[in-house]
Amino acid sequence: MSENDFNRRDFLKVLGAGGTAVALSGCGYTSIQNGEETVTSYVTPPSWEIPSIANYYNSTCAQCDAGCNIMVRVREGRALKAEGNASSPINRGKMCGLGQAGIQAHYNPDRVQKPLQNGKEISWDDALKLIGERLNGVKGEEIAFITGGMSGHAQALLGNYMDALGSKNRFAYEAVSPAVVRAANKKAYGVSMPRYRIDKAKVVVSFGADFLGAWVSPVYFSQQYAQFRKGTRPEGRGVLVQIEPKMTLTGANADRWIAVRPGTEGILALGLINALGSAGMKVPADIAAAAKDYTPERVGTDTGVPFDQINKLAALLKDRTPSLVLAGGAAEGYAHGSQNAIAIAMLNHVLGNVGKTVEAAAGVPMSQFAPVVGNRSNLAAVNEGLAAGKYKVVFTYAANPVYSAPAAMKFKDNFGKAGFKVALAQYLDETAKAADLVLPLDSAMEEWATMVPEYMAAPEGGYAESYAQLSFRQPVMNRLYPDTRGVGDILLALLKQRRADEYKGFDDFYAYLRSNVLKNKVAYGAGAKDDDDVFWNDTVSKGIVPLKGVAQKLANKASLAGVSLPGPAAADDSYPLRLIPAVSASIRDGRNANEPWLQESPDPLTTVVWDSWVEIHPKTAAKLGIVEGDVVEVTSRSGSIKAQAYLFPGLHPDAVSVPVGYGHEAMGRYAKGVGANVFGMLDPVFDKETGELALNETRVKITKTGERVIIVKEEGPVGGSQAGRKKISVKVSAAKVDLSKEV
Amino acid sequence: MHFSLRLFTLLAGLSLAAASYAADTAPKLTTPDQLGPEVQQPIEFPHFRHAGDEKDGGMQINCMYCHTYARRSMVAGIPPVQKCIGCHQNLPSVRETPRIKTLFEYWDAKKPIPWKKVHDLPDFVRFNHERHIKRFYFQQDRPYQEVCGYCHGDVKTMTVARRQKPLTMGWCASCHQKDHPVSATSSETGHGPNDCFTCHK
Repeated sequence: MSENDFNRRDFLKVLGAGGTAVALSGCGYTSIQNGEETVTSYVTPPSWEIPSIANYYNSTCAQCDAGCNIMVRVREGRALKAEGNASSPINRGKMCGLGQAGIQAHYNPDRVQKPLQNGKEISWDDALKLIGERLNGVKGEEIAFITGGMSGHAQALLGNYMDALGSKNRFAYEAVSPAVVRAANKKAYGVSMPRYRIDKAKVVVSFGADFLGAWVSPVYFSQQYAQFRKGTRPEGRGVLVQIEPKMTLTGANADRWIAVRPGTEGILALGLINALGSAGMKVPADIAAAAKDYTPERVGTDTGVPFDQINKLAALLKDRTPSLVLAGGAAEGYAHGSQNAIAIAMLNHVLGNVGKTVEAAAGVPMSQFAPVVGNRSNLAAVNEGLAAGKYKVVFTYAANPVYSAPAAMKFKDNFGKAGFKVALAQYLDETAKAADLVLPLDSAMEEWATMVPEYMAAPEGGYAESYAQLSFRQPVMNRLYPDTRGVGDILLALLKQRRADEYKGFDDFYAYLRSNVLKNKVAYGAGAKDDDDVFWNDTVSKGIVPLKGVAQKLANKASLAGVSLPGPAAADDSYPLRLIPAVSASIRDGRNANEPWLQESPDPLTTVVWDSWVEIHPKTAAKLGIVEGDVVEVTSRSGSIKAQAYLFPGLHPDAVSVPVGYGHEAMGRYAKGVGANVFGMLDPVFDKETGELALNETRVKITKTGERVIIVKEEGPVGGSQAGRKKISVKVSAAKVDLSKEV
Repeated sequence: MHFSLRLFTLLAGLSLAAASYAADTAPKLTTPDQLGPEVQQPIEFPHFRHAGDEKDGGMQINCMYCHTYARRSMVAGIPPVQKCIGCHQNLPSVRETPRIKTLFEYWDAKKPIPWKKVHDLPDFVRFNHERHIKRFYFQQDRPYQEVCGYCHGDVKTMTVARRQKPLTMGWCASCHQKDHPVSATSSETGHGPNDCFTCHK
């Protein structure tokens, strides 16, 4: 009947076989099994644990420097998921995606498991002996210790260790840090990190502070922002204006996003002060005099923001007080970044916000635990010393300068000049790879630590001027690899080599921490007669110790003396575009790039995953003949990268933007080779006052390589365009918008 | 005539149906419906000695004395080695028997005993011991050996446990569809959940 031998019966047979194959190769097994898997019983069951029922342990997040308090769900001895600690003033029971991925920092298969000497596994005894030998006869000034931001008891131990070594060369370095804003705040407000009250402000004008995404303490600010946006608030629903050359997550949430010409943020701020004066606001005479040349017309020409827009913004600010003006990454990344930041901070003085929405924060009473924050000028200093061959022994911890220093600094070569390099590392990142000895660190789920957040949040339900806190991190599960140690353990072991008598009573960092806390328990809020065990258990189980902090004083006056703002930068014909390195909410400065969840979660604005991209304004792209997916080469005077082009209207046409944190050459399977490293190609231009690397000062040109790829992204092929539906969302030119009527 | 005959047939049919339904519901509770394979265990644990009836030389220990998590958690829990030792360190009469010697070897080495899973459901099925024990043991006040036996058979007569029931979805559903009294004293009845999500999540 059939010409074909392959009849229905055969077809069903094949189908059946295929089905079985699918069933067998599926996830796990799909039918009842007997006697195949082993079920391992406890030898001695822990009394607090019932199989299949989770326990929660309070701890502190280590994914960024905000220091959110978390609680980790632990079942059958395995950490499963982190949640926010509801009694934390910082994150109030919430958490961000970056924090969620912390569990992947712990289970990461690429962790360092044993001490490594030039790549070979050695024992801890040998490793410590080796350090002792190499330090023998080395003078204090020949030793350097490079760290990331640190605080708490480990910071105190490091201080003691540096004393014991007789060295003052401790360098705290963070690849992306608000160092310029800190310095400007110190000048303008007298406090380097005041408390911002976004929740109390009627208008927030943010000059590139991505407080919802990646700036300082985003989870805390997000909750303030939620209050700020509530119409039922006594102040009414707040208005957010974001001024920046590249749209951030905060910019995308703003009522009005203003694309300012990169570098002219300070000019715009002074223009606003001048416009406020013209609108009848009382401006202190010296400030008014300094700002009088910044007429809306001139400022409009310099910044590219239409002058009636400036007047409207000034009218809005005059009309609605208190307001709040923030300066963030986009405003500070210039050679005149400090000037920009001070000009912007001055707006708060003029508007009378200081003391209302800019409040003094409290410091911790124990100054040895206070956060030591990093900046780039420390990197420049240590790099200079390394280049001169000054250091014989260098330690690194929680910083990856080999990756994040601009190539022009030649940090890697200079680092190689040090005779003996010890990296305290959880992964073999670029810096650990370049080290002679790698000491494996515990993950944040395995270590004991205390932490003091740099941005001291205020507890809910009222502003407590003197509130400060010490956060505890405790091991929520046993070590995955028996030979890793906490940074506190390592510092203690190193200290024992120098001051054996002082530290011999402590077997490990836990013993040191416990005894130290109990010795000072009255300072931590315990009664002198309270039982030690009860107090300690209570402290650890809560994870937060509220402290009566040292109140800082706000400066109620500030001046613009010494502030001089350069005009808009001259056009550069060979490198016509300005590179804005973007800090995304998940990858940040790249220290967590090896956590697949972060690579996998789409960038909030472009939805790109698992790769770098170059944001180009559609007009600029049209001029250069670039379409989405073109692989382009971005070249600066100091280097170049190749990445896929993404056309993005949320960008000043003179700028291109590439996210930082990608393009690792090491750091394990999830980070290595993904995207391109934009840090390497930055020009070594520094802020004149603080010495901070001016991230936005690099000029680039773009050339097509001829290759084209399909961008892997969440949004559909039409992307952010309206696909011909322009009538739905009508474009209104910025000049036609009256902010105070619109919102 | 026709009518009464029809009525008679109907009534007879109905009562027959009812009877067969009743016969169906009479539980074959702990008898094996479908024997699983024999499983080799590291120690041939004699359930009958521990849980068996007194007349058979058993000690009638409650299942949940050793499988202590069954009433508290999703999983019944394989008894910790410490649990065995808790009694056996005070039982010198059997101390030198081969099985107890093996047991103490594990204990002395502080090593868990690698028991094999006998009742191993597929990964996409969530069976909750606690719920079932709450319903039948605590609310309906049925004997524990019967309650555990619904799924595990008459373990008190076995040495090493062996699967007695199919443990398939159809078999689970056959019981979930039946009406059970909601408590020991109530005449109210209810059946088990019939929602996919209850077990497959």
